[in-house]
Amino acid sequence: MNIKINRDTLLKPLSSVSGIVERRHTLPILSNLLLEAKQDKIVLTATDLEMQISLSVETAVGGELSTTISAKKLLDICRSLPENAEITMATQESKIQVKTGKSRFNLQTLPANDYPVMTKAAGATNTVIKIGQKSLKRLLKQVEFAMAQQDIRYYLNGLLFEVNGNRLNVVGTDGHRLSFTSTELGSSYEKQEIILPRKTVIELIKLLDESEEEVTIEVASGQANFAFGDIRLISKVIDGKFPDYTRVIPSGHQNSFTVDRMMILLSMQRASILSNEKYRGIRMVLTENSLKLISTNSEQEEAEEELEINYAGSALDIGFNVTYMIDVLNNVDSENVVFSFADANSSCLVTVENDNNYKYVVMPMRI
Amino acid sequence: MFFAGVELLRYPELRGQPVVVGGRSAHQPQKLPDGSHRFFKLRDYSGRGVVTTSTYEARVLGVFSAMGLMKSAQLAPDAILLPTDFESYRHFSRLFKQAVADIAPLIENRGIDEIYIDLTDHAEDTRTLAQRIKHAVSAATGLSCSIGIAPNKLLAKIASDLDKPNGLTIIDSESFVERIWPLKASKINGIGPKAAKKLVSLNINTIADLAQADASMLQANFGLSYANWLVEVANGRDDRPVVTFSIPKSMSRETTFERDMHARNDRARLTEAFSSLCARVAEDLQQKGYIGRTVSIKIKYHDFRIATRDLSLPDYTNDSTAIRRAAGECLKRVSLNEKFRLLGVKVSNLVREEDAAAGQPLQATLFN
Repeated sequence: MNIKINRDTLLKPLSSVSGIVERRHTLPILSNLLLEAKQDKIVLTATDLEMQISLSVETAVGGELSTTISAKKLLDICRSLPENAEITMATQESKIQVKTGKSRFNLQTLPANDYPVMTKAAGATNTVIKIGQKSLKRLLKQVEFAMAQQDIRYYLNGLLFEVNGNRLNVVGTDGHRLSFTSTELGSSYEKQEIILPRKTVIELIKLLDESEEEVTIEVASGQANFAFGDIRLISKVIDGKFPDYTRVIPSGHQNSFTVDRMMILLSMQRASILSNEKYRGIRMVLTENSLKLISTNSEQEEAEEELEINYAGSALDIGFNVTYMIDVLNNVDSENVVFSFADANSSCLVTVENDNNYKYVVMPMRI
Repeated sequence: MFFAGVELLRYPELRGQPVVVGGRSAHQPQKLPDGSHRFFKLRDYSGRGVVTTSTYEARVLGVFSAMGLMKSAQLAPDAILLPTDFESYRHFSRLFKQAVADIAPLIENRGIDEIYIDLTDHAEDTRTLAQRIKHAVSAATGLSCSIGIAPNKLLAKIASDLDKPNGLTIIDSESFVERIWPLKASKINGIGPKAAKKLVSLNINTIADLAQADASMLQANFGLSYANWLVEVANGRDDRPVVTFSIPKSMSRETTFERDMHARNDRARLTEAFSSLCARVAEDLQQKGYIGRTVSIKIKYHDFRIATRDLSLPDYTNDSTAIRRAAGECLKRVSLNEKFRLLGVKVSNLVREEDAAAGQPLQATLFN
């Protein structure tokens, strides 16, 4: 069995699917990707048993092939070959020869039949929604940074996808801060929620592009399927109950001000230099038309930043983990942001001027 | 030997006999009406306990620490068996350390029966000072001790082992080559059985062989940092200070079951044992004033393979429920299809609770 393919045609899909291949795995075949070629089509599939990405490329390959090869080695080889090189791949027993010009690589393979392919869950599909690639990517990027990482509350290590009527709500939280966004859908659905694992979310953001082309999302039992362009992504979902986020998104915080996003971001970043390395605490001190950011560290060093703002609310001295503030300021794209407070013991609500659907809630830190 | 020493203080009539300490309270000696004791013999033992310690007389018969009690009963069926009584050993440990501290307060704890003492600032003649310490220990506890005195901790430790029991060995830079170099390399604390075996295969038997070995050959076989260390210790160099106070790295509790357990069949008993381990670790933490944020479990399978898993929590804790929950998560990540003989729970990443409480920022949470 042998095929011919252009190096550049192979490289992009190859790097797209290779992202999820675990470097070290107990099951050797999981460091491989599945390569299937038929006449005018080549399909690459990678999985970590939690999720699977398949990518098909229409190209005349002049033969058939079905095998599994080390994802990393094949990617490294393709990357380092000259542009537009014509690659020939030929399998021989348990090996594959990758050849171009005067370069030759003999790689080990494992049988395609042994590859643990994830299939779409059988049975009824609960919900099918459609959304543009660009919109989905934006939604994910707005909330992704607030997800927990390796938290014992496993349901926080992912994003909540909630379809309710004609709205899609996406929420990420690590228990200290929460990022919420929402968009309108073309049609109306019964209420349905899933928690998408962290790794799936991060891969999706990488794979989605800025086009208006549609993504079809199908939710079946314990599984979410994403189809867009040449890509099919299957992911398990986290089995658990996401906390009730509606309870913690405040309304009616009276003390608020609007500020230039970049200006406050840069001030926060400067002040963070002298914040305690471990706890990253920063004080926001609000008085009439003034915001001071104050940080101190364990060596008694101190930073102070003063910003002129339009503020007529109550005087307030409230502490936060500065990382949580820098995160939101880095991940929204509005020119201005609005900070709203109740008192020094309550959450802070951050909203943006260019998107009414976006809400970010941070709990204070007693410094 | 320390444990045996304490037991012989309690039962002086056993002096000179092979005595083995191990197992649990079932083999408590019985007091007879005439005031004498009836002791259990090793042959009376059944179970899977191990020898905690043995007297020199028992060692002659081949019974050493960590040997299974059943196996040692075959070697010395008539040896006296005494149950392990950690409470007493801890008591005597405190007494001996206090006695030393009254003379030389700069002490590094190395466990229940071992300490390093920094004598740098003592003007007194070394041998007289050492004798004074030995007398103080003996007066406070009735126990003898072996002392090694040397320019650093590495050599002091080796020296203390050269003359036992009740010994006193002084090593200085002159006597170092003569006394230390002929010893086996494995006498160095830090050269374990595996490294020692590898050294022997490289024809390095004594510390002198090691000192004279080619450094690049050592690096090729042991890696840079260990090879560096080998060269240093073989030449008697060690600049570690005597650490008089240190934060413990971890606190743990483990239990070996009297028979192999299966996760499904012995569920009730295991749940209870597991919760109790977590509760005891939590109690240890609370008693000593520490909180930790990494929880680990250890499981030893029937074939002695060991699996460990750990989990770091968002917040420090010394709460048994929180430890139990995290340990339960860890347990989900090991295979429980096979039988196992040991279960352990550990909390590491410790800080003193009072340090943590003072001035530690408190992040408020969204839920609860």
